[in-house]
Amino acid sequence: MKQHPLCTDTEVEQNVLGLPVPAGLKREWAALQTRRHFLGRSGKVLGWAAIASLLGDQALRGDTQGAATMDAAAGGFKPPLFAPKAKRAIYLFMSGGPSQVDMWDYKPNLAAQFDKDIPDSVRGAQQLTGMTSGQARFPIAPSHWGFKQYGSSGTWVSDLMPYTGRIVDDMTIIKSTNTDAINHEPAIMLMNTGNMNAGKPCLGAWLSYGLGSMNDNLPTFMVLQTKLNQKEDNQPVSSRLWSSGFLSSQYAGVGLRSQGDPVLYLTDPNGVDRDVRRKMLDAVNEINQQTYEELGDPETNSRISQYEMAYRMQMSVPELADLSKEPQSTWDLYGPEAKEPGTFAYNCLIARRMAERNVRFTQIYKRGWDMHGNATGLLPMLCQETDRGCYALVTDLKQRGLLDDTLVIWAGEFGRTVYSQGGLTKENYGRDHHPRCFTTWMAGGGVRPGTTYGETDDFSYNVVKDPVPVRDFNATILHCLGIDHNKLTYKFQGLDQKLTGTTPASVVTGLLA
Amino acid sequence: MDWKNLSAYWSKLKSGSRGAFQKLDDFSRRFLPTDRTVRTIWCASFLLSLVLLLLPLVIRLDGKTHADWQQFLGRFHPLMVHLPIGFIVLVPLLEIGSKYRPALREAAEFVLGLSFLSCLGALTLGYLLAYGSGAAGAGVSRHMWGGIALTIGVLLCLLARPYWVSGTVTRVYPTMLMCVMLVLVWAAHEGGSITHGSNYLTKYMPPTLVRVATLGIVHANTAAPTSFYAKHINPILDAKCVSCHGEAEAKGGLRLDSYEQMMRGGKDGAVIVPGKPEESLLLQRVTLPADHKQFMPAEGKPPLTSEQISWIKAWVQQGASASATTISGISIREETPELPRMPVGDYSALMPEIEQMQKGQGAKLLPVSSKATDGLVLNTEDVSANFGDTQLAAFEKFAPYIVEAELGRTVVTNASFDTLAKFTHLRVLHLEDTAITGDGLVKLAPLTQLIYLNLSGTKVTQAAIAPLAAMKNLHHVYIYNTPAGPAPVVAPVENVAQAGVPNSDQAK
Repeated sequence: MKQHPLCTDTEVEQNVLGLPVPAGLKREWAALQTRRHFLGRSGKVLGWAAIASLLGDQALRGDTQGAATMDAAAGGFKPPLFAPKAKRAIYLFMSGGPSQVDMWDYKPNLAAQFDKDIPDSVRGAQQLTGMTSGQARFPIAPSHWGFKQYGSSGTWVSDLMPYTGRIVDDMTIIKSTNTDAINHEPAIMLMNTGNMNAGKPCLGAWLSYGLGSMNDNLPTFMVLQTKLNQKEDNQPVSSRLWSSGFLSSQYAGVGLRSQGDPVLYLTDPNGVDRDVRRKMLDAVNEINQQTYEELGDPETNSRISQYEMAYRMQMSVPELADLSKEPQSTWDLYGPEAKEPGTFAYNCLIARRMAERNVRFTQIYKRGWDMHGNATGLLPMLCQETDRGCYALVTDLKQRGLLDDTLVIWAGEFGRTVYSQGGLTKENYGRDHHPRCFTTWMAGGGVRPGTTYGETDDFSYNVVKDPVPVRDFNATILHCLGIDHNKLTYKFQGLDQKLTGTTPASVVTGLLA
Repeated sequence: MDWKNLSAYWSKLKSGSRGAFQKLDDFSRRFLPTDRTVRTIWCASFLLSLVLLLLPLVIRLDGKTHADWQQFLGRFHPLMVHLPIGFIVLVPLLEIGSKYRPALREAAEFVLGLSFLSCLGALTLGYLLAYGSGAAGAGVSRHMWGGIALTIGVLLCLLARPYWVSGTVTRVYPTMLMCVMLVLVWAAHEGGSITHGSNYLTKYMPPTLVRVATLGIVHANTAAPTSFYAKHINPILDAKCVSCHGEAEAKGGLRLDSYEQMMRGGKDGAVIVPGKPEESLLLQRVTLPADHKQFMPAEGKPPLTSEQISWIKAWVQQGASASATTISGISIREETPELPRMPVGDYSALMPEIEQMQKGQGAKLLPVSSKATDGLVLNTEDVSANFGDTQLAAFEKFAPYIVEAELGRTVVTNASFDTLAKFTHLRVLHLEDTAITGDGLVKLAPLTQLIYLNLSGTKVTQAAIAPLAAMKNLHHVYIYNTPAGPAPVVAPVENVAQAGVPNSDQAK
């Protein structure tokens, strides 16, 4: 700290960084300095305080581990705890809550109970959402669609998904997934980050942090958003879901745009060639390095590494997104929609290409599954958009020999109620959020193919066998990738934080191959 | 024979026994001790032994269930049976101990007496159990004769012991005690086999011990089964049925441990009617409601899964053949056990060189896991466009530690097979989208640990990959989009989702 010109005290303040104390202590001191530095600056102009609160979770950090682990990490590879079955994962996230009753959880007995009230004993003392808690009755709405048995496992799949039905022998279907949250934002946060409150790293960030990269030219964790269909009820999806929380922001997901260039401003402007860009980056990095040495904020390092990553992505992303060399068989498999950037099928194809290039974790978001009304209008549309992509992705990975060490995960944040929200007619109904049971599936590296795990009661309402809470679901995913969910921790705010939270979680061995 | 008959028989025996006993007494006088009391004891013992020996011949174990009270009492047999075992084992210990502490000698006599009484008790309960529950297999029968022999043996020990104590006959008692011990081991083992299954002790026995135990004799039936029955039906029955319907117990006279036995049926007739699943008793019983009295497996043992039932049903439907290898409509994923990871040697001394290599060439050697013996992965991702045969050859030095080689999309050629042949610990080899044509694939034959080989997008032909069939651990070979394996055609589906086909049940 500089001495004030009017100060009469001539004694020079000692710089902690110059003292003969352990390096770790210095880093801790530097981290504190960051906060003072920030507050000092923001105190000058009130407006800065507003920015401070906006950027606060990055600048006003409560951790001291970031700096210490910085040198080792730097986006590099870290070996898993034990030899993993899966090296990478592709997570198909169905935001909004797909209807397990209409898609997976076949309940033929419900047809006879059309428009009858669901027994009180089934619902118990459950608190419903504000959207249906005022309803006078809870009439059972059997699925509008028939089911068929597929594969040698004879798994029942809705007629809504004729393509996905073909891969049931490669899938592990979990009918007993259940969550604690009943509304979108907490539920989607819980599913992705293991906590209903924002600020925790998501699964992809934990994987990047725990395993690092296998490809220096592409981000470890990529996020693909599916283009919105305005006819659907699209609940918001925000970058909180792929944030790195309290982990260094280099572990956060990198989103590819669903329209136009996958990454904006990736191409150099006219007149700037690659050498010029390199020179510019070197200069910026030098300045950033000076800042890091002055303040010791690990975020500065993240910034440097992200500039470097962007530079490399200028080469790798165009190659990734160039589908011109895909053989005709690819288009036969994924369908014509895959040629249109931003569709689910296109994203599935890109996800396969990223798996080929050893991207550790790819998450595809598909919104619109929130069907409080007009189920018979919405669900065929949603299934049609996603059915073939899911089938094509798993099939393609399998034929190319990638399914052996790639884990594919399909999940939403919760399920839908068996009773109708709003009016029930023979032609239409709606379904409210249902946290007590929902169906998810996995396929590939580490999970047992051709099996269905867990059972629900006759109303697809409560889990009656082998419940899989979200924390166990996530613990199992980590296990497939060679990580012990209890050992992948990060000390933050005095707690050894982990993806599965403080409630003891366990790996669901029944799902494993 | 029911119990009314038995009581009539018993009263007859009682009235006749007086004369018979007298005769026997006179006869025994010639060579038995002169003391009257002792003689009476000897005769009584002889008679008892005779009764025990004749019992199974008079009241046959007919494989039918009888009165509930018999089963109720009988089920205390497994509890009771441990008493004689404990007592009998104690006797020789006490006898040996009495050399040093004479007081134990008296205790030995007492314990021997207890052994006999508890033997009688266990025998009675055991017989009630077998008779009541309708158990009638070879194992039950052996166990029963073992119990009878043991009881008689203990009785003889009791008789011989006074002569050993007094020093008149020194050899008989110890010899008999030894025999009793052997019979005990055998009878107890037979009993254990009934409860836990005959392979209970050997199932987790280390292979070396098994070789010693079986004297190196390999059973003829260890060849991998090929028929649908042997591969899929028999294991279900083995797991779910044979504990009661096996060689040991054969409840209801039914054995399901082999095809021939199963087709023979039980007391209620045939259990499998080829071609007619609905008439097959076995399928009827396993598909009853779980709380039905005749539901099988009985007594809360784990029921068959719906999948298992569907296999049996399809198999019966299609003729219940012992030799058919496939059943149409049923395809079962075969679990091929994956070769376990073989630990690689210690490469820590090479670490500086490995790091040097990475910096120079860009290709990386990444550990499979935090366990060093899991080996290294050769990762060429970042430099694939420049990674060719020469670059690969530079890694030869680390070959024994490399378990995975990711050479997909690199510029390696057929020439690299010579190098790769030296990667002796290789489990996984990626060669997808490279220029290789498969010439020289045969050179990979020494890689016995190779389980995965990806040749997708290369120019390999069927002829080129033919030698791979000989590599027995190589279960995953991918030839997508090659001359050897053209891309499969995707059958279109009718667009049911859009049409919104209503639920058929609901439409009624």
